[in-house]
Amino acid sequence: MSIRALWVVSQEKGEPGKLGIFPETVLHATSCRMHTHGQDRPKPYVEVRDDYARQHRSPAVELRLDGPGGRTLWPLLTVTQGALILACLPLVEAPPEPRPPLPSLASVSQGLALLSGLQDFLCGPGGKPEPDVLASRLAALPSVLLQVCPLGRPLDTPPPAGSVPAAVAPSPGGAQKQPAWKAGVHRGRAVVSVALTEKVRSMQYGKSSVLPNVTVTLTLPPNGSPLQDILVHPCVTSLDASILTACSVDENDCSAFSGPYKFPFSPPLELFRLCSYTSQVPVPPILGSYQLKAEENHLKANVVLKLHESVKNSFEYCEAHIPFFNQNLMGSVEVKVSSGQLEVSKEKSLLVWVLGQKFPKSREAALEGTVHFSGTVAGPTDPLCTGLTAYIKLYFRVADLTLSGCCVDQHSVQVYSSAKPRIVTTRELVSSEYYIWNSTGDAPVSSGAVTASH
Amino acid sequence: MTITDLWDQKISAFQLSPSQFLATTTSESFLAELLHELRNDKANDHLKILLVSVLLDHPTILCPSSSVGEETALELLSVFSHTPQKSIILKCNVMLAITNVIICTSCLANHTKMAEDWLDLLFQMIQDTNDYRCGLSQQPIRATACDCLREMETCSPGLLSQKLEALYLLKQQETTVLHQSYCMLYTLGLKNAIRILTTQKDVTDLEFKSILGGNEGFAWKSNQLGLTLLPINMMVQVPRLPPGLDCKELKSIMSSLLEESYLQTPISQSALLRELVEVVAMVPGLSPTLFKSQLLRLFGTADVSLMHATLFMKDTFTDSLFTAEDENFLLKRLVGTAQHPLLRIPEKLFYMECILHFPENRPISSSGEESLPVLVTPRLAASLHPTVFNDSATMLCRLNLLCLVHLEADEGEADKGIRYLFEHIMALLKIIDNDGSREVVVTSFRALFIFLMHFNGMENLSEKVIDKLCDMYSRHSRLAPNLIGLANRIQEHLDDPVWSVKLLIGLQKCIMEMPPLQLTIHNLSWHLKVLKRVAQEGQITQRNTIYLLLNILINSNLCERGNWQVGNAVLAVCRNLLEHPSIDQVFIELADLLQYISVHYDDTDIKDHARFYYTLLTNLSWEKLAGVLVKGLDGGRAKERSHSAIMAENEGIASNLTVHKTNRHVLQLIKVQEEASQRSSGSSELLETTGEAKNWLEVYQGQFHTPGFGSDVNLRYNLTHAKDTDPLFDKVFTICLHFELKDSNYAKVNDIHVPCVFRDRKPPEVKVKLKPFQPYPTTLCVSAVFTTQDGRSWHSQLPDVSVSFPEIFLPLPLPPNTSCECKEQVFDRIWEAAASENPDKSAISLFCFKTGDESLADLIKAHFQGYLITDQQSKILWKVLFFLPPMCHVLLKITQAEDAIQVSIATDNWELLPFVNSYLQNITDHCSTTVTDD
Repeated sequence: MSIRALWVVSQEKGEPGKLGIFPETVLHATSCRMHTHGQDRPKPYVEVRDDYARQHRSPAVELRLDGPGGRTLWPLLTVTQGALILACLPLVEAPPEPRPPLPSLASVSQGLALLSGLQDFLCGPGGKPEPDVLASRLAALPSVLLQVCPLGRPLDTPPPAGSVPAAVAPSPGGAQKQPAWKAGVHRGRAVVSVALTEKVRSMQYGKSSVLPNVTVTLTLPPNGSPLQDILVHPCVTSLDASILTACSVDENDCSAFSGPYKFPFSPPLELFRLCSYTSQVPVPPILGSYQLKAEENHLKANVVLKLHESVKNSFEYCEAHIPFFNQNLMGSVEVKVSSGQLEVSKEKSLLVWVLGQKFPKSREAALEGTVHFSGTVAGPTDPLCTGLTAYIKLYFRVADLTLSGCCVDQHSVQVYSSAKPRIVTTRELVSSEYYIWNSTGDAPVSSGAVTASH
Repeated sequence: MTITDLWDQKISAFQLSPSQFLATTTSESFLAELLHELRNDKANDHLKILLVSVLLDHPTILCPSSSVGEETALELLSVFSHTPQKSIILKCNVMLAITNVIICTSCLANHTKMAEDWLDLLFQMIQDTNDYRCGLSQQPIRATACDCLREMETCSPGLLSQKLEALYLLKQQETTVLHQSYCMLYTLGLKNAIRILTTQKDVTDLEFKSILGGNEGFAWKSNQLGLTLLPINMMVQVPRLPPGLDCKELKSIMSSLLEESYLQTPISQSALLRELVEVVAMVPGLSPTLFKSQLLRLFGTADVSLMHATLFMKDTFTDSLFTAEDENFLLKRLVGTAQHPLLRIPEKLFYMECILHFPENRPISSSGEESLPVLVTPRLAASLHPTVFNDSATMLCRLNLLCLVHLEADEGEADKGIRYLFEHIMALLKIIDNDGSREVVVTSFRALFIFLMHFNGMENLSEKVIDKLCDMYSRHSRLAPNLIGLANRIQEHLDDPVWSVKLLIGLQKCIMEMPPLQLTIHNLSWHLKVLKRVAQEGQITQRNTIYLLLNILINSNLCERGNWQVGNAVLAVCRNLLEHPSIDQVFIELADLLQYISVHYDDTDIKDHARFYYTLLTNLSWEKLAGVLVKGLDGGRAKERSHSAIMAENEGIASNLTVHKTNRHVLQLIKVQEEASQRSSGSSELLETTGEAKNWLEVYQGQFHTPGFGSDVNLRYNLTHAKDTDPLFDKVFTICLHFELKDSNYAKVNDIHVPCVFRDRKPPEVKVKLKPFQPYPTTLCVSAVFTTQDGRSWHSQLPDVSVSFPEIFLPLPLPPNTSCECKEQVFDRIWEAAASENPDKSAISLFCFKTGDESLADLIKAHFQGYLITDQQSKILWKVLFFLPPMCHVLLKITQAEDAIQVSIATDNWELLPFVNSYLQNITDHCSTTVTDD
């Protein structure tokens, strides 16, 4: 259960940065040297690279080395984030031939967990740190690795970036053992803050044969309507079997259990995701229809957005983005909106419809008009959005609301502690991959998708 | 530039390529520098941590032997004990480095004193739990000590097997976060101790109990298992203790370990669970149901390593821990996590692999190959259907899984599912139609490959795919190489080549039906590639191909343009046609085509080829023709190959035009042994010796104004065959030796040409002329291009030639007839200059040794003969001068003192001293030596 080597490679400079090699783990295996290959000029078809029989569907890749014998490094786990590639080589504690299946190697999941932690550590929640921030985090990495992965043996994941170390007092050293994931005892005011975020994913396509498919993803609830696919943080001490039974993949799921979902846990010092769940909601919070037609040298667009009556008509923000791909840049835009304002992006390839804080009383907003593409400069391209295949993407956030109805009652939070903590609970609904496709164009997916997944 | 920056540069240069870095210095001197800087009190911790990191990363490069490792570890230990208390991180790093060096240089395996002392010290550290007096700041030291011990126990299993009671108590006492480190250490020790006990024949209750109560020394002898401790899922048979042992105590220990497991970080917890699973598997008295209380918590976890450990449990215990219901539940969770929006892509891909290797309670096959668990039904897997929005790895992974699902499914359901997958493939192909970027094309073709591998039997679907592909080809002929690649791969992987043949027929038809406008020069090259591939299929009639080619040539200006590439591509099709089994049906048409080309094509080479093909076609029977065209694989049949070598784009011409590569050594350079006295600098000219009372040093130095004077070292080698080469290489001709330098201390070495090397003849001698910028030892990479008797060219690497330090020695470059007095004068003057440190790189040094059996005179005769300045037979003082190009001198004065022989060394370049030192050490190796450096 060890990692043999760890790399952080920046694609921008093209130079590999080797972070750690753990030679003592190599005692179990034969050693290899690693070379990185420069990116060739892309050629349409190169047999070695593009061989269709070689499967590129595993989390572990194989790296062919230069030199006699043509040796390979396997299993190389990689995570790509922006221009950064994080890679590690887990130790294979097995005879190399025949190649053992990945799930039989203990180090693989540890490597994956280490890479995920490393990604959080380097990139933080935003996912795109400034170069100097990244450089300072990279500089701190060796000492972090000393703690979490001494001699190549993972003990923990690196702490996520931006997690401010809370005021910590040394643990009293009493009879009770201190969890290893909690460095000390919290100093300062005790607060239990429970934030519940539901992310709504939606794919809408206004043809009658295709039903909207909505999946809701969110974070934390101790009671609510049936929640599925619950994954919990390791600090949760015990779980009731009924909590885990609901599963989105199980169509005959007839478990009547609908809470309360209890998660007894002992909190670590940093903010953490206690649990996550998915929930199927029959109707989307905003139902949309998008019709785009080609007329001579311009496009005619017609958009209607309807806010579902169960959703509070009070947004933190709400915007509809209407991008145009594989066209020249926009010329004149004659579009009217019934509510909010319309902006044309600087790049001249995107309309932004700012709906603001509220939908009108009728809970319906419409957009209508024509867009001319007069320029000669080509706009952005997209392999999917050709012809009339086009979409609107919605961005919104509603405070104090969850679609599943799931919520946390302030009084239901039980705390067994000498300190009297303040208890804060919040809820919010955030859009995530919320697409409305043009119903007059071809759907980018075959209609079979829905028949199979429902 | 500060010292830190200098080290920064040096260390990154080393890390980038240790071998290249060490070409300019030696590992000993680099290690010495490192250790020296580590002992420097003024250097800050940050720099020292950087220095230690080199030893952490490359211990075996810096410490090539066990003895060097031991010395280095000792040095580090003294650094460790001199590091102040507050430099915690540095101390931890040094501890890891010591452990690393001890393990990697086999000090631990060989049970050296150093390893023993270090182990004792580590154990003392972990026992010293009284760190409250220094505050918590000292905790990391103890944690690191635990980590070091754990690593040593891993590499030398059983080392701690007699210490378990002590470790257990330490683990129990510890309530700070460190309990995790103690717990992991204890568990590993416990597991290894039990594992070693399983190798014993009869185990009594007493022996079994004594494991847990052990509180003795380290078990150095127990390392009988070596490093072969594989995890139990990798073993054919799980080692087991005999049944009937009293496990009460062990059971309660296991329970308490499990109860507290949630206090550990997820990664450590997963490692702990795996160790405990192995223990339970080895001890029949323990029941797997011990884990029952943890299962629910593990089923719900969001952590990939914990989920993986749960699957390991499942794999090991199957139905003795997991009921059928549990199994069903776990699999459902696994399918759910494989598409959970919260998880990252690599994790989801991993879960999908886990589904395909799911350890079922009742497996149908246990081959270790991918197979679908019986419980995964189309309904369960519905959420894993691939979509065009997936990234390519996820899409391919899901497609593969779903293909397996629908292959196994009941008829009605399968039809629906397969139809969906088919539509998905069509949607992908449609995307290629719109956007042909490489990634999109490759991903889609890979998906198509997966689909066809599973469903090629469904004719209506596979024919629709062919129609679509042909339709696409008619619009995007640049897909030709992709389509050919697909046809080849499918043909290789399916026993039944029908699909590929059908695709190729479709493509041929598609090209025939193209309007002439689309047959532009650019597209034509793609079409010709396809037709060439089509012509390889014996089942496809070729008449249309020939008509088309003739038609194009007659009705376009291709022949007038005379483009060689196009002509060659057309001939390549013809060549495959010549080999086609049904050639007699199209004999006349093909003859017409070849004749037309040979008359009309405006390129002489193409004309000649066409005429040659025409002659072959019209004069030979098909059998003979096929015989001529067949690839000459047999090395001896040179004649046949030279025939087919004339064919365009066939293996023959390719093999004659390309330089073949052989990975084995064919030739090698062997140093010619020569007497040192015979060596001379090639370029020394005759110097006037008549002049009286000249300043000989000035005269000597004056020579260097002549450009190129005394700058070369000539090394003589025999070029011979390497051992055990293929008989093919017994006679090689026109050899061109090419030299690459591994460092920048020498000027580029010119290529050397040798006419031939025969195995049974005297090897030719080659002279390698080296021109040093810095006279350091070096290594030359040598490669050779040569021709074998059958006319093929080869490229082969020769074994590296290393040039040792004494090989660069030259005698004082004065004319041969210079008198001894002159030489001595030059010697003395250089010595004086060096002693007075002028030029400023000068240095003097002293080397002493005792002579053994060999007398001093013999030693001098053997090694310094050609370099002696004094010819006197005094036997008291010898003066020796080594000249090293471009202009360095190493002067030795050897005197016989009372109890030892003293070698005074003077040089005008102190950087040579380490090399001089190791050289002297080398030649006086069997004498006992003492060294005093000045």
